[in-house]
Amino acid sequence: MCTGRLDPAIVAGAFRQGLDGLLTVGCYFGDCHYITGNVQAKAKIDITRKVLKHAGLNEERLAFRQCSSGEASVFVDLVSQFDEKIHSLGPLGGAGDRVKAPEIFKKLETAEAALTSEKIRWVIGKRTPFLETGNIYGEIFTEHEFNRAVEMIIVEETQVQEILGGLKEGARSVKDLAKRLDIPPERVFRYITALQRKNLVALQGVNGRSPVFQLTA
Amino acid sequence: MVYEKGRRYIIPFDDVPADRAEMPEISVEERKGSFREVETGFPEAVAVAEAKRCLSCRRCLGCALCWAECEPEAIDFSIPDEELELDFDEVIITRGQENSFQPIDSHLGYGTYADVITDLQFERMLSPTGPTDGLVVSPFDGEVPRRIAVIQGNAEGDEDHFLSSLVLGVNESILALDRIEDMKVALVSPICQSFKKKFSPDAEKIPDLDIIEGAPESVERTQEEEPLILTYSQDGKIKKENFDLIVILTKPEISAEISALSQELEQEVL
Amino acid sequence: MENKRVLIIGGGLEGVRTAIEKAEAGAQVTLVEKFPTLGAERIPRDRLIKPDNAFINPDLDKVRNLSDVRILTNSEFTKVTREGGKVHASVLKKSLRVDNSKCNDCKACIKVCPVNMFDDFDEGYTWRTAVDYFNPATGEYNIFKEDMPACQSKCPVHLDIRRYVGQIADGKYLESLATIRERLPLPGSIGRICPHPCETACNRQYLDKSISICFLKRYVADVEINEEVEPVYETPEKKHPEKIAVVGAGPAGLTCAYDLAMMGYGQIKIFEALPVPGGYLWVGIPEYRLPKKLLKREVDLIAKMGVEIQYNARIGKDISFEDLINDYDAVFIGAGCHQGLKLRIPGEDEYKGKGIVDCVTFLREQALGKFPEAGGKLIVIGGGNAAIDSARVGWRMGFDEVYILYRRTKKEMPANPWEIDAAEEEGVIIQYLAAPVEILGENERVTGIRCIKMELGEPDASGRRRPAPIEGSEYVIDAETIIPAISQGTDLSFLGEKHDFELSRRNTFQIDVETGATNVPGVFAGGDVVSGPDIAIRAVAAGKRAALGIDKYLRSK
Repeated sequence: MCTGRLDPAIVAGAFRQGLDGLLTVGCYFGDCHYITGNVQAKAKIDITRKVLKHAGLNEERLAFRQCSSGEASVFVDLVSQFDEKIHSLGPLGGAGDRVKAPEIFKKLETAEAALTSEKIRWVIGKRTPFLETGNIYGEIFTEHEFNRAVEMIIVEETQVQEILGGLKEGARSVKDLAKRLDIPPERVFRYITALQRKNLVALQGVNGRSPVFQLTA
Repeated sequence: MVYEKGRRYIIPFDDVPADRAEMPEISVEERKGSFREVETGFPEAVAVAEAKRCLSCRRCLGCALCWAECEPEAIDFSIPDEELELDFDEVIITRGQENSFQPIDSHLGYGTYADVITDLQFERMLSPTGPTDGLVVSPFDGEVPRRIAVIQGNAEGDEDHFLSSLVLGVNESILALDRIEDMKVALVSPICQSFKKKFSPDAEKIPDLDIIEGAPESVERTQEEEPLILTYSQDGKIKKENFDLIVILTKPEISAEISALSQELEQEVL
Repeated sequence: MENKRVLIIGGGLEGVRTAIEKAEAGAQVTLVEKFPTLGAERIPRDRLIKPDNAFINPDLDKVRNLSDVRILTNSEFTKVTREGGKVHASVLKKSLRVDNSKCNDCKACIKVCPVNMFDDFDEGYTWRTAVDYFNPATGEYNIFKEDMPACQSKCPVHLDIRRYVGQIADGKYLESLATIRERLPLPGSIGRICPHPCETACNRQYLDKSISICFLKRYVADVEINEEVEPVYETPEKKHPEKIAVVGAGPAGLTCAYDLAMMGYGQIKIFEALPVPGGYLWVGIPEYRLPKKLLKREVDLIAKMGVEIQYNARIGKDISFEDLINDYDAVFIGAGCHQGLKLRIPGEDEYKGKGIVDCVTFLREQALGKFPEAGGKLIVIGGGNAAIDSARVGWRMGFDEVYILYRRTKKEMPANPWEIDAAEEEGVIIQYLAAPVEILGENERVTGIRCIKMELGEPDASGRRRPAPIEGSEYVIDAETIIPAISQGTDLSFLGEKHDFELSRRNTFQIDVETGATNVPGVFAGGDVVSGPDIAIRAVAAGKRAALGIDKYLRSK
């Protein structure tokens, strides 16, 4: 299988189920049978790594390396180096990661949801056209600009998925969500009103002084 | 975050705050008697780090995901702009939809605290078509406020400004009091003569509305999750009170575009 | 008789109400609004309300169904003119990018849009997405795409800052420089001296501090020099036949010539009165801010495009202005403001050249290596960049003590704050709230200046507080040299005594704001000679505008 077919959501899912490290080894740039498969693979891995890092995972747990099918010894080196690295980081959610177990598994669930969401998948796919031929208006992005745009979407989409995840457990107020998810309440308020606008969330009622929101059916 | 028309909301990133690069300079001793260039230029690493601070602001990314999702195929990026040449016998200039107002004194916390809002924002919050369907909440924590202060944002103004902003302030208070049980509103502002004559008798009868003739001085929050503290002066005395939501009465301005048109056409704005 | 045609500007409550009124009275109404939909309900500001009847609603259904009302939303005026009772308007109706007649309001688009921005309709306390409806009452969808980011729209020449800064972040320095050169031929010079209006617009300032845009421009210009890359400016092979004369090799003239050469004009000649290029950039901006070598290199690159520059060619003296008009198909005047204005106080004329020298002359003579000797005490009068430059140059030349007198306080000073700080660091003494009264001297030499202390009164038309003298507070400072640096004016003597140009009260050219054309056909103007003393990047913008104007003029001939 070409590395370009790798699905970011499956990568996040694997970590959620307890994987400690994932090494992707693709062909050298220019050697791809499908022309740009390996370039896409690297871009996907880069963005997936950002999402996972945001979830609290040590970013070194996900790597992209290159070698050709004839380079057995290079391949062995890559694998042993990576193996060593993962050993030194220890099990997922331990000392090597920013967020510890078991919280990290919940965060990874959100990361998986974000990477499953249409928004991030679509934008990941736009990398090559945005940098080379331009967006729908014909405007070409610099790499920096594309990365900025993606970063912004990752942060926002992850937080939105966290809020939706929180509401899945039951109706909650803005204040309550903010406390549970450690997101500033004023931002939760804006996310909630935006989700209301999208018909994804609705006001359930006012409990004392707290308006309580729920997912729409 | 200060709101400005047409701006993207910027999520604080991992790299915020990051120092702005300082331009290296030769020392004052080296400059004496010499015309050597003072600023020596960024080293490469500094230039790249500085460039990476750029937020690459862009609203619509042109990703066309909306277009892909639109079943009735209503989204069409090829719809062109239209240029029209039109002739008229008469022109009427109105303020239009853009609500411009004079800058608000920074001591009053607008742009610093999410629960300090303008009377225009409050008007939208109270409106049945507003984003919260008319529910009065504090944008700071999404809770229904117990105590609201409506305060004057521009102490310098003519009789007309005070009159219309005070009437708006009272009207917004009437609506808020009607919507929420067990709540109090304080209106703090210099009170003009025409308001006293025409509206004070009725306004003073409104239950739970306290009209205070005074001047707002500052708004601050000393502790996270605590209410805002409003400092104001009344009869030469400084007073402090806690509030859950503060609404600032703005001084309307004619937007730059409309006033340019009014000048060009030599005609007053209605 | 045809129906009366009425234009209503603004689609708020008032505009909608008036439109209905006028249409019902039999007029043909056009309602133009900047925002993508018509207005919302409002709370009255002239009477007290009852809670159940609080809002005044614009009758949107009615106004949209009246056949005599044409509604133009998302529209801007590009030009309006009034002649007698008639008004002509050019309106740009910007595309909503959504065909609202097909839209079924399913919200699929806003569910997936990845961009959150402040919702202008709700005064920004909540979010909308880039594709969104604007007014919930009417639900008209639109896609918000700005013409350019904040920095670019604030830049007078609209440099693609987002792109060239992004290219630096990507490590593509020469590509970045090429992006800048698409619109600006003087990146190294402007990157050193521009007061960077773009940075005041930068959105990053709301998070920490704005991006150092100007110095990044300088960085890529320096990379090219340090790596000894010689850029080649490609001009079109096929040349237009017309001859164009440019008066003045300053930022306006150089840019105008550069843009015209890029458009394929092969016969462009710049006439420069001085023996050096750059105009004020050479003779007004000191070496320590902008090295001449670097400026020379940027001008040489323009000359290599086939633009001829004749130095020491003062129009009106070496060549008559009439010859210029007769010999060339179009003329651009970018002569700048090279005359220092006078203080108008006693003693000034008497000691002119005997210790009194205006800042323009002082800086020019120094830059050309002609200023005789330095020594004793130097006093500069004024608060602009020219005053600071004169003081810092004087300090470098070896004056023992350098003073600046300014009649207001540091806060009102028009000079760039970082320049003021640098001058003070170097030991220049700035006396604020001090104004000159009389130049003193004896034996044909300046000996000092009588000053008076000032205090700030009420704000004047410029919004700055007006200084007023404090009676009886006069004092004298001894000085060997005094430099008035209060402002600069144009020198239009090259036009001759009789000419047909329309001039302003400030003795600057009156031009068409879209093309830069003067009232004399074929003659265009731009830069300080039109605006009065202003920053270089705006002169560059004026040169670009005139290049387009000249091209349009020549191609339609």
